[in-house]
Amino acid sequence: MRDKLLHAPLELDPFARTVPRIDDALSRRVNADPESLERGLAQLVLTIVELLRQLMERQALRRIDAGGLTDEQEERLGQTFMELDQRMAELREEFGLTEEDLNLDLGPLGRLL
Amino acid sequence: MIELYAITDNPGPPLPGVAGLRLVPFDGLAAVCTPASEAEPSPETLWRHEDIVEALMADRDLLPVRYGTRLDDEAAVARALEGRRDALAAALDRVRGTVELSVRVMAASGTPAPSPPDPADATSGADYLRLKAEADASSDEAARVVGDPLAELARESESARPRPPELFRAAYLVERGAVDAFVAEVARLQVERRGLAILCTGPWPPYSFAAR
Repeated sequence: MRDKLLHAPLELDPFARTVPRIDDALSRRVNADPESLERGLAQLVLTIVELLRQLMERQALRRIDAGGLTDEQEERLGQTFMELDQRMAELREEFGLTEEDLNLDLGPLGRLL
Repeated sequence: MIELYAITDNPGPPLPGVAGLRLVPFDGLAAVCTPASEAEPSPETLWRHEDIVEALMADRDLLPVRYGTRLDDEAAVARALEGRRDALAAALDRVRGTVELSVRVMAASGTPAPSPPDPADATSGADYLRLKAEADASSDEAARVVGDPLAELARESESARPRPPELFRAAYLVERGAVDAFVAEVARLQVERRGLAILCTGPWPPYSFAAR
């Protein structure tokens, strides 16, 4: 491997496991066939849904922090977000997308998520 | 077809002796390119692109061009860059004299500090929200104890969304002369924070700080 490690922790393996394979990314990005166009559309739609999901989730966490929700309300809220999270993971899987794929680069505004 | 590698100042130091590298000058700047290779995109050709950009980076400031950027001929390169001349010059000034360093942080295994809780393990709705809040808090803490002190040593920093189980991920634009001090600070933070595993890589071309 190339000499790019300036400071390595005692255990490097956990980091290596989070690196997506370069050839996966290449094979996904090169062809503009109908299938990848469909995937591009799914990517766009799921990105918007993911943005809304994260905003609502953060809002919910703030409301819980502030108090004022009953245990039952809190449970219902959590259940909803948990199911949304799982459903998003399933949809990402179905279209072969990673979490990072749902992060749009908005140019001068930075990254979406 | 020709393939682009970087935008640099013109005139600059002589180009490294890599086959076919040439300059397309435009108004005080230049694009560095080669005839496009026939090879299919692959990890090998990607690393070759990176090698060329890094060889150029050794003795000049540059804006790295995204891998796989191709244009018909030199006239097309000049046309593509002409209208963006001022923006590119400003972007080059932004990264002048610096390199990019990357930092990623995880919870160290086998230490008292627990890995960030995974909300996917939740057993109930309330539990999910609790784990979510704890995971957010661990990330905020890593950003505070590692990210903030390192940002002090950089010209600019840009944090990215960590990929679980990472707690923190950021890129730093560091003066070439300050790289050693930055790495020493990483080592110091690592000694101070035994519960965290800190990975620092580089020097990279300023990918995270180049013109969009």
